[in-house]
Amino acid sequence: MQTNTTPAISPRGHITDYLWRFTRGAGIIVLTYVAFYVLYGYLQPRALEPYAIAAQMNNTAPLALAAAGQTLVVLSRGFDLSLAGVISICNVVLAVMPLEGPGGALVSVLLCLLIGASVGAVNGWLVGYLRMQSIAATLATMIICQGIALVILKAPGGYVAEWITYEMTDRLWSIIPISGLVVAAVVGAWLLIRRTNFGVSIYAIGADESAASLSGINVRRVRFFTFVCAGMLYGLAGFMLSAQTATGNPTSGTPLLLLSFAAVALGGTSLAGGRGGLFATVMGAATLTLLQKVLFSSGVSSFYTGLFQGLVLIAAVVFSGFVARIGDKK
Amino acid sequence: MTSVAVQIATQASPSTLELRAYGVSKSYGATVALEHADIVLRAGEVHALLGENGAGKSTLVRILTGAIVPDQGDMQLHGKPYQPQNILEARSHQVATAFQELSLVPNLSVAQNLLLPKLEKSSLGLISARKVIAKGQEILSRHGLERIDAAAIVSDLPLAERQRIEIARSLENAGRVLILDEPTASLAETDWLFAQIRKAQARGVAVLYISHRLAEVREICTVATVLRNGRTIATVGLEEASDGDIFEMMVGHPVEKIRPDARAIDGTTQKRIVVENLCSDKVDNISFELREGEILGIAALEAQGQRELFRTLAGLQTRQSGTIKIDGKPAKFNSPRDALQFESGICFLPEERKTEGILAGLSAATNVVLPLLPRIARAGFIGRDAERNAARGAAGQVDMDERYLDFAIGDLSGGNQQKALMARTLATGVKTLLLFDPTRGVDVGTKESIYAAIGAFADQGGSVLFYSSELPEIVQLADRCMVLYNGRIFQEFVGRDISEQRLVAAMIGHHNATETVLETA
Repeated sequence: MQTNTTPAISPRGHITDYLWRFTRGAGIIVLTYVAFYVLYGYLQPRALEPYAIAAQMNNTAPLALAAAGQTLVVLSRGFDLSLAGVISICNVVLAVMPLEGPGGALVSVLLCLLIGASVGAVNGWLVGYLRMQSIAATLATMIICQGIALVILKAPGGYVAEWITYEMTDRLWSIIPISGLVVAAVVGAWLLIRRTNFGVSIYAIGADESAASLSGINVRRVRFFTFVCAGMLYGLAGFMLSAQTATGNPTSGTPLLLLSFAAVALGGTSLAGGRGGLFATVMGAATLTLLQKVLFSSGVSSFYTGLFQGLVLIAAVVFSGFVARIGDKK
Repeated sequence: MTSVAVQIATQASPSTLELRAYGVSKSYGATVALEHADIVLRAGEVHALLGENGAGKSTLVRILTGAIVPDQGDMQLHGKPYQPQNILEARSHQVATAFQELSLVPNLSVAQNLLLPKLEKSSLGLISARKVIAKGQEILSRHGLERIDAAAIVSDLPLAERQRIEIARSLENAGRVLILDEPTASLAETDWLFAQIRKAQARGVAVLYISHRLAEVREICTVATVLRNGRTIATVGLEEASDGDIFEMMVGHPVEKIRPDARAIDGTTQKRIVVENLCSDKVDNISFELREGEILGIAALEAQGQRELFRTLAGLQTRQSGTIKIDGKPAKFNSPRDALQFESGICFLPEERKTEGILAGLSAATNVVLPLLPRIARAGFIGRDAERNAARGAAGQVDMDERYLDFAIGDLSGGNQQKALMARTLATGVKTLLLFDPTRGVDVGTKESIYAAIGAFADQGGSVLFYSSELPEIVQLADRCMVLYNGRIFQEFVGRDISEQRLVAAMIGHHNATETVLETA
């Protein structure tokens, strides 16, 4: 699986090399996810039915998409807090202005992408061109966006278009969850982007900005478009969240913010930039939401969910650090 | 200026000239990085750029290569105006630089780095890993580096290979002008580099070569331009300029190059350190003693155990067997902190000043007084004036200009950083210094200041053990010198017997060195 580590390494054909790259990449988090799913299936025999899988996927999609956007920014050595604001705005816009039918859904999703891209462009301009620190810049845009969300919808309420809430949470041919397809499409797009100069440049500026600049990479432009792409993913996350909740809430994006960082870290992407990948983050997000289900079905009070999520996060980060150290000695 | 100074040949026909720059300047706020630089690089000529650290060499390089845009000045390439706004524009004019700090992205492959920012694509418009590697390997083999795997990740490669890759990339992009900024900083030998430079020279490329090593400069360059305090002092032919002339132009005053007489170290002074049968990783059964007031040099090729010996003595590395006695007491310390306080104290100055030495964000003054903090603190708080006064005293010992004390140390030139570190080492008040390559990559003026500080320290009864990668330094400074070879002490020289020829012979493991050299002498 060539989805995670640093881009494009030559095939050296050695089985240990493949294993090594697998564990450095998404391997650990995929295994963790499978282990939890087996546990979930043991506790809840109906877990493997298409309906349960789709429900799980629907729960995961908003966080997975938001964390995927966060991954882009983190890879380029930055943090993006505007995620919470963008998702909230998209959610309240869809609740205040429901557009029915497939055409309405298309307009809605384009609107969400536009909102995300605009906020991302502001972030990219502040961080890339004005050289503000990313936390400060995106903190400001997050606060502004949350304010705008409250202006649009003062209290939770409103209804998201029925077409969206039904179709986007449905299954194709009663088997494949639509939300899963959306996430898969994003992962697929990422795999293509990784094989462009833009994709390689994201990794390059994340690892060493001045070396990248001396190598001829236009650092400002790459940063700008990284934030724009991330913003569009937050917009998509807001769209999928609205389909899921079917209602509007001006603070709906807030709970996803810190979980997005958890998903990134769980997927093994270095918060220092330059190392990691988007697929592993998606699996990290899936693991976090699956954990809630596992705890619920084993009868643990939901108050403990946060506790367990934190412990799994620490365990995963420590373990991947341990594996990396063995690798360095190899 | 000096009699050997040759006026820049402004009257030569522009067609034969590759790159000329006149009156180039660059300031950052109140700091003038480059005041007025003139340089003319001709096709097929290797031109040296000399100057102390902070003279403006790197700024000039960055301007020529488009990394920064000058405030003023006129630049022409092949007789046409040349004003690169960025690296790619300079590259499109076939001007390329191998940067001193290396501009390779660590998490990408060698091939990706060679091709950045535009990688080879397949017919689908996506980057083809296979084509990228093939193209990278082709570039490597064009420059005599077939043995490097183009698919390897840069951070997995040793520093010397990274430097070669950096140079190969600039060679690839330099059709007209090639700029090499300290290209030998991490290279042990120059054969490969000089072969590549001669090849570029034969193609008619103008080469600008920057190095602190004058012997190297004389070997490959024909003309030199000297910068001092941001101004071009002179352009001279290297044939007619002596080392003394050049040093004088760089420093602004004549440099004392005569070896001072070795201090008389007789058997009566106290033994400060006695090492017996010391073994640790790469250190093989080493015994020696270091007396009060003695400067003991260590000469060796790369990686002969000198690093490990210093780290073991400093308490950074555990010893496997053997004893170290300090002031007659067996040493029992496991950290540099303990070593500082053990008996009369040992202080270690490491080689990697950027990673092991300085605290880049703090001011030079704070960096200097760190070891003094407990002494100048009142009830645990440190007054700004107390800190400055303490730092001023320490800075004076190494001839460091007071005005640098308020700057963040990371913003200072390499020479001033090293002076600050030396001042800090002296400020610890210990009686024994372990200095590992204390003048690595610093300019002549700084070297003189550091030598003077070391000499003064020994005159006051301090003991110094130092390793240097530059033999003239050992010859000038050491009272006694031990040559390490394969982790053992191979030979020892005292006083006037220390000469470069003998040291070189012993360093490559050539026995009877003393006799052969004496015969030929």
